[in-house]
Amino acid sequence: MVANARPALRQDSRPDGVYTRDDHHGDSVLDADVVIVGSGAGGAALAAELAEGGLDVVVLEEGRYWSTRDFTANASQMIRQMYRDGGATMALGSPPVLYQEGRAVGGSTVVNGGMSWRTPEKILDRWWREAGLDGIRAADMEPYFERVERRIHVRTQDPESIGRDNQLLKIGADAKGWKVIPNLRNQVHCPGSNNCAFGCPTGAKQSALVSYVPRALHFGARLYSDVRVERITRSGKRATGVVGHVVRADGGRGHRLTVRAKLVVSACGAIHSPALLDRSGFRSPSGMVGKNLSLHPNVKLVAIFDEDVRGWEGVHQAYQVREFQDEGLLFAAVNIPPSIIAMTTSHTGRELGELMADYDKMVIAGMLCEDTNTGAVRTVAGQPQAFYQLSDFDADKLKRGCALLAEMMFEAGAKRIMLPFALGDHAGELRGPDDVRRIFADPVPKSSMEVVTVHMMGTARMGSDRTRAVTDGFGLVHDVDRLMVCDASLFPTPIGVNPMETIQALATRAAHHVLENPRRFS
Amino acid sequence: MSGYQHAPATRRVLDSLVPVVCPPEAVELGLVADIVDHVGLTMGALPGRFRGGLIMGLRTYDLGALIWPPGRLRPAHRLAPALAARYFDTWLHGPTPIHKQLALGIRQLIALAHYEQPVIQERMGYRPAQWIEQVKRRRLELYADDIERHARSLIEPDPLPGIAPHPRARTRTKGVA
Repeated sequence: MVANARPALRQDSRPDGVYTRDDHHGDSVLDADVVIVGSGAGGAALAAELAEGGLDVVVLEEGRYWSTRDFTANASQMIRQMYRDGGATMALGSPPVLYQEGRAVGGSTVVNGGMSWRTPEKILDRWWREAGLDGIRAADMEPYFERVERRIHVRTQDPESIGRDNQLLKIGADAKGWKVIPNLRNQVHCPGSNNCAFGCPTGAKQSALVSYVPRALHFGARLYSDVRVERITRSGKRATGVVGHVVRADGGRGHRLTVRAKLVVSACGAIHSPALLDRSGFRSPSGMVGKNLSLHPNVKLVAIFDEDVRGWEGVHQAYQVREFQDEGLLFAAVNIPPSIIAMTTSHTGRELGELMADYDKMVIAGMLCEDTNTGAVRTVAGQPQAFYQLSDFDADKLKRGCALLAEMMFEAGAKRIMLPFALGDHAGELRGPDDVRRIFADPVPKSSMEVVTVHMMGTARMGSDRTRAVTDGFGLVHDVDRLMVCDASLFPTPIGVNPMETIQALATRAAHHVLENPRRFS
Repeated sequence: MSGYQHAPATRRVLDSLVPVVCPPEAVELGLVADIVDHVGLTMGALPGRFRGGLIMGLRTYDLGALIWPPGRLRPAHRLAPALAARYFDTWLHGPTPIHKQLALGIRQLIALAHYEQPVIQERMGYRPAQWIEQVKRRRLELYADDIERHARSLIEPDPLPGIAPHPRARTRTKGVA
């Protein structure tokens, strides 16, 4: 065993302070003030703030360290490299919900669309009122949001980066007289390469990889990639560190890594944080670890136009249609590579070829739904398995959303629309605006809905009452000393907008709390 | 990555499914082996138990054709193309959700692999790499100062309100991603 191993860096492109699987030559033990499991939105923001505050921070990340120049438009290769389980992770239910998690330094921020929205005021009010959280209302959170937005450079897009698919979405919304707004995105002059979901190849998107992680490293944090944490160690009711192992290139177990720390933070997302707590034997008096899973069910429809759209030329989601936000529905244009479109259609053979021949005429319009049901994450053989049943109410909401979206795209000039569900026994396809009513007239089997998500939330919810919530308002686990959760698990409810900025603002607030209370964590 | 490679029996079934799932160009352009190789890469990234289920499902699919009357005691990989398409359809609209999910999964893997082939993307005029290079260059030409300014700001001290810069705070200098 080597105490405080600081392996020599190889001379390559990695910044100082990043250690990969190649740097481990035996079992290691590290000491730190804080160990953070996960380097995504929450973990990286917390690491940067605490490191700047003078704490000795170790970040452990299961995924690899990739740099901007590694990111290409080779969608399937990027998915295999940076998505957990090759993107084939699924919440079981009817319909099953396919969900995606980034597994790389920077976490899901490396593969998300780069939408940066503050938590809506009504949601923060609800958290204050229902979860009894002090200091969480909009005015309280303002400085944290402002700080995050400065760090990740939240702006609207430069006009020249907006492609035809997004223009058509806006044309449709304007023609309907619906509220459509420019999207706020974490980017520095994003030129619209439209590769967000496979890693930004220009470095414009300010994922944690290129913003908070370099900042954390600059202030002395150490980041170990390729490390899978098995459990949190404890002494009585106090968390004392973590134990894990290096993930070998073939996926097998490599050397053991132990980190002893004064504060342990689980920041590995709403699927893996509850599993880590569970594997480590932490039982919440609330019984809510792994419960309360919400996930903003997403569906998309494919609108085919007569004109060339070339949806890959221009930014991902330049606008959001907010007309139906009060109903919990947001619409946006999201280009998807042909291989992924082909995967998700119901066509085969010659028919598939005929459909895909129109790929350059497609606008892919997606919808986010603020859900009303909750699911759960359970640990099966040490691994998390999500369960989620789409409620009839939310299924109806998705149908209504698709009808509205289809109306809007026909208004913009679409000639036909492929729906994300069957109409009766047939693939859902609309040939004109008059067809839209079929969405309500024909039976839509819920099991036929193609639902996906990237917004998993709520599985270690925060609240003042230890019998109803897993953590307090700063993410500190009730009834356990020195254990914090710092990711979307904390959300008491779904938020109805993209969650990254909320996670980062809560992480910043949690860091402030730790630094203001040094005795509690020393 | 698991280093997964198809067993010969798995490859045979997948070979026979490419003409069923993909447009005729897959066979016309001689892409069957490349598509099946690509399916192998994707399967290698899947969780082990998922991959195991898929392999077992492919085997069951292949042997299931033996008791499908029109198949006349032939496994799926030996069915003529038109018959193979009909047999696949019986799974796609299958008697149980398991049949259906397996057929859907196979279809997804093969369709993904087909449209990831460079020659297919080229035929479609889908050239994202060219676009990326073009806009990347333009961004650097137009906005170099702003980009540099933000990069500098990422390592400037900016302590949280009320938190004095800590004497133990260290700084490093080398590179960002």
